[in-house]
Amino acid sequence: MLDNILSILIFFPALAAILGFVVDKNSIRTYGVAVATIEFALSLLLWFFFDNSASGMQFMEHIALVPVFGINYIVGVDGISLFIIILAAFFTMIGIASLTDTKNVKNMIITLLFLQMTMVGVFASLDAIVFYVFWELSLVPMLYIIGAWGGPLRIYASVKFFLYTFAGSLVMLVGILVMAYLYYQTTGQWSFAILDWHRLVLPENYQLWLFVAFFFGFAIKVPMFPFHTWLPYAHGQAPTIGSVILAAILLKMGTYAFVRFSLPMFPDASVYFMFPIAILAIIMIIYTAMVAYAQKDIKQLVAYSSVSHMGVIILGTFALNIEGISGSIFLMIAHGVVSGALFFLVGVIYDRRNTKLMSEFGGLAHVMPRFATIFGIMIMASVGMPLTINFVGEFLSLLGFYQQSHILTIIAGIAIIVGAIYMLSAYKKMFFGKVTKEENKNLPDVNKRELIALVPLVIITIWLGIYPKPVLGPISNSVESLVSLMHEKAVTKEAKARIPNPSTLIIRTTAQEAY
Amino acid sequence: MEIGLNHYLVLSTILFSIGLIGVMRRKNLLMLFFATEILLNSVNISFAAISHYNGDLTGQMFAFFVIAIAASEVAVGLGLLILWHKRHNNIDLDSMSTMRG
Amino acid sequence: MEMFLYIALFAPLVGSMFAALFSAKPKTLIAGIIPSALLFVSFIASSILLVYVLQTGSSIHVEMMTWMATGELYIPFGFVVDQVSVTMMMVVTLVSTVVHVYAIGYMSHDKSFNRFFAWLSAFVFSMMILVMSDNFAGLFIGWEGVGLCSWGLIGFWYHKESATWAANEAFIMNRIADLGMLIGIFLIYWNTGTLQYDEAFAAMPALETDVLTWMGIFLFIGAMGKSAQFPLHTWLADAMEGPTPVSALIHAATMVTAGVYLIVRASPLYDLIPNVGLFIASLGAFVALFAASMALVNRDMKRIIAYSTLSQLGYMFAAAGLGAYWVALFHLMAHAFFKALLFLGAGNVMHAMKDELDPFKMGGLKKVMKGTFIMMTVASVALAGIFPLAGFFSKDLILEVAFIDNHYIIYSVLLFTAALTAFYSFRLVALIFHGEERYKLFGIDPHEAYKFMLVAMSPLLLLAVIAGVFKMTYFEMVTQVLPATEYHIDSPIVYWIITIGTQLLVGAAIFYAYKKYTSRDIKVPDGTSAMEKSFGYKLLSNQYYIPYIYEEFVAKPYGKISAFFWSEIDQKIIDASVDGIAKAFYNTGENTREMHSGNLSTMLKWMVAGTVGMLSLAVVFGLAARHSDGVASILSAIGVK
Repeated sequence: MLDNILSILIFFPALAAILGFVVDKNSIRTYGVAVATIEFALSLLLWFFFDNSASGMQFMEHIALVPVFGINYIVGVDGISLFIIILAAFFTMIGIASLTDTKNVKNMIITLLFLQMTMVGVFASLDAIVFYVFWELSLVPMLYIIGAWGGPLRIYASVKFFLYTFAGSLVMLVGILVMAYLYYQTTGQWSFAILDWHRLVLPENYQLWLFVAFFFGFAIKVPMFPFHTWLPYAHGQAPTIGSVILAAILLKMGTYAFVRFSLPMFPDASVYFMFPIAILAIIMIIYTAMVAYAQKDIKQLVAYSSVSHMGVIILGTFALNIEGISGSIFLMIAHGVVSGALFFLVGVIYDRRNTKLMSEFGGLAHVMPRFATIFGIMIMASVGMPLTINFVGEFLSLLGFYQQSHILTIIAGIAIIVGAIYMLSAYKKMFFGKVTKEENKNLPDVNKRELIALVPLVIITIWLGIYPKPVLGPISNSVESLVSLMHEKAVTKEAKARIPNPSTLIIRTTAQEAY
Repeated sequence: MEIGLNHYLVLSTILFSIGLIGVMRRKNLLMLFFATEILLNSVNISFAAISHYNGDLTGQMFAFFVIAIAASEVAVGLGLLILWHKRHNNIDLDSMSTMRG
Repeated sequence: MEMFLYIALFAPLVGSMFAALFSAKPKTLIAGIIPSALLFVSFIASSILLVYVLQTGSSIHVEMMTWMATGELYIPFGFVVDQVSVTMMMVVTLVSTVVHVYAIGYMSHDKSFNRFFAWLSAFVFSMMILVMSDNFAGLFIGWEGVGLCSWGLIGFWYHKESATWAANEAFIMNRIADLGMLIGIFLIYWNTGTLQYDEAFAAMPALETDVLTWMGIFLFIGAMGKSAQFPLHTWLADAMEGPTPVSALIHAATMVTAGVYLIVRASPLYDLIPNVGLFIASLGAFVALFAASMALVNRDMKRIIAYSTLSQLGYMFAAAGLGAYWVALFHLMAHAFFKALLFLGAGNVMHAMKDELDPFKMGGLKKVMKGTFIMMTVASVALAGIFPLAGFFSKDLILEVAFIDNHYIIYSVLLFTAALTAFYSFRLVALIFHGEERYKLFGIDPHEAYKFMLVAMSPLLLLAVIAGVFKMTYFEMVTQVLPATEYHIDSPIVYWIITIGTQLLVGAAIFYAYKKYTSRDIKVPDGTSAMEKSFGYKLLSNQYYIPYIYEEFVAKPYGKISAFFWSEIDQKIIDASVDGIAKAFYNTGENTREMHSGNLSTMLKWMVAGTVGMLSLAVVFGLAARHSDGVASILSAIGVK
């Protein structure tokens, strides 16, 4: 079974979803939880059998689809994708378990299971065409979730989400085709395998054009400034579960793809575009944090804060050294956990009051102390308090980028200030002060079903904040080989200088661990 | 004055223009067919003239094809025209707008 | 010994978690007693470590586990108990034990009693991490941890708008400084390749001065936030919104001194960059005077003590900046004792006066609150630096340091500030405890605090009196790791003139304060007297209008810019242009559907127009290709030869 575990992980939820159509309405929730739990258990199994010391792809599978054009079904995981897959399985599980929406719950669960297939598929596939198929397929269930269960503007939001990201992906598709054609021209063989592409050394001007093509697809997905405006609408209108999955997993596709495609395939272009992208990332960090401060709707605030944090991830990715890239991948997971949890928390209060306006609350700490505590922990994680999961990622990302530019890192570091400003003022508005609204006086505290989702997230937040090694170790291994690949491949002098050569580093970690 | 290629081409152009204006301006379906025929035949003239000028028979061959196709087109077209006239009692183009977008 | 290290470190955490278990429940006495007992355990363990360090002269270094490791970076949870950190551990555990026991009484009527102890013990744990860590990243954990706990405790009474506002202000101000600290850490990492204190400091002498200067500056920016140095000082006075035990522990004795600790800890770095040191000392001297001046006219008991704390922090930075690290650390220690004592005394007064903070509404309290009166008086004498109390040995030493190093401006500023210190301290004591019993006008019936609270305060009283005795032992201990410069004025005559002169000056200030504020004419100020209308008074009582400037020119514009970004730029420019593109497509379709009228005649016209258009395009391109190579290459690229 281990040989095919990735295919099982990808297609099991989809098969279960199809079977879900015949399951009785009343038992669908149990069914969904069972399927998602099995899936999560499988993903843990994957981690258990994952060789932490290896840096390459593991659990590879290879099935020919269109051999003439080199299109194959290739899947595999390394330290970079492993944890995002686990995170996807985890969030689907707790998402279904804590589902509060009761309208058409059967369709919702089936959609979620399909969505899970596409998410795992994106992170596991190692063939550009298969990747692209899952990438685009993931839009469909999300479109449905926002469009069918969303708020008053749901149609506008879902169509905007779909068309915007789809438009970007089409540019990326052109990039994929050109890349395959270049591969064919260079080697005389067709191949869409990402690992083959990694080994292809391209001249700088081709890299630049291809980088831009891929950039559009990824940047809109992330979403990077100024392509971010679909996100607040999508989050603002999506039901809780939709926002959670969107923030926790779907956004990570963009940043993951930067690491998987842009960096190793176009190292010179990555160096060439490092500063423009870093500047975009910084604008994204500070500008969206300020926009978040201006929000009146707590969910929009969390959505904009999400964009702000994604800026740090991008910055870490384009640090182009081990510290920065590992940090950014860790931050993807951290941000998934924390922003997912924040959206859950917003959902908790929305279920009770049917409003997300902060002015409607105030003094909630008196009536919902447990809720206030969990919210407080997550807010502190979000502002990057040490010993929470976010800090590790943010610290490493910024530390990594500091090697490339001092000034830009100092400006980007303003993230920790502006982040604190909007989060704390939001917390103050919602939880502190006196209970002024009559409706708030008797709100019930978080119930068991909500705790099922929230408690594990709190535990992960603190556990990985104190002891990130089980996750950071494999990530760091894979990133090390990624960086050395980039260093070897780099054509221009500047790129060679900017991308450190890991083999010359004294690897202190191993020495220290031996001690 | 000898009549050369240019004269044929000028004739063809004049006929083509007449046909084109007919296609654009006519509202009667039957007249439209006439205009189309003029268009086709203007092309036929230039085919035949250039063919003769080049000493290559391909052009004249094409002219025959065009005549054949024009004939079949008129046959089918007139058939439809009669059907339409039977049903709607007119053949005015402005009344045929079921394809409005 | 490692076991004692872990006990000292983790006992407060256990206490905090224990109290946190009860945090949602109504007051449970045990939630206060257990954390206090565990802190006492931590204190005992620290004492054992102190004895060990004193006797063996060696330090204890443990590495608990890896925290972050990637690439070249390796950060463990490592802890070190050396002469410097053990001093801090003693101060922290001692003061916090006292404050915990005191708080059992002080908070006994508060419904969030349990939550209070959870936060307070968590604070002590963070502080212990801060002082015991063996690397900058660990220091940063503690640094942020104390900031978090300070946020939770300033905003402890979260139903009060002012308290939560102050909590957020403190957190955000500290965050600004933390950015500096973070950048300093990055600089250290990329230049020395490590964040461990010993390795990093060992690598520093080989670095360029520029780099070291930047390191020093950025680390000091971090210190400025936590120690509330100008211009990041406004949060400290506002932080007095928190419960008084919090003010005593966090905003007087421990957290605010973390900045000084950082400078002392990084002494090998600051020794290499005397210019930055001089800047630190100058800023310290300035803050000492600046804060003392604001304390002169303030009418809020806790704020007066807060400004006094700020002023004393200025002294510590002055000493540390001049390279007298051990003097700074010694003053830190002595100050922790008498300032905590002063705050706890103020807490008793507040309880007695039903949370009234204006000393002008008190007066004559010495009759009803004898114990508190004695303690606060002793603490004030110690603060003023009268022989033989603690302040004399630590504060006058700083004056001597400035004098000996020939920084006469700093010296005179500090000397003048010493007089001001004596004046405002005794203005407070006189207004509270002496003179007419003005509180009767307000119908308050004051009473002394619980006996055990006074007993709990007594160790601080004792130390405020005798701390000077330990000076030489302390000196010999810490100078094993810190530069052992002894400060002696060469000529005995100059020495005596300076010492006695200072004492006389301070004594005169005390006398003047007593005379002025014990008189029967003292009334509750109503804003009509000539002094209150003077510009100087207004300037000082409005804190030089700095909070106003921050509010008007930083906070409000920030809100406005944010709102502008959102409503104008994000919605009207970025999103509108995205929607604009979508609308453009939509409108194109909407407008061109007219063409599909279904009328064959119209369609034919369009067909002709299209043909003509295409033909003319072909002609244009053909001509262009004939005359321009650029167009020809484009055409060939799209397949047209």
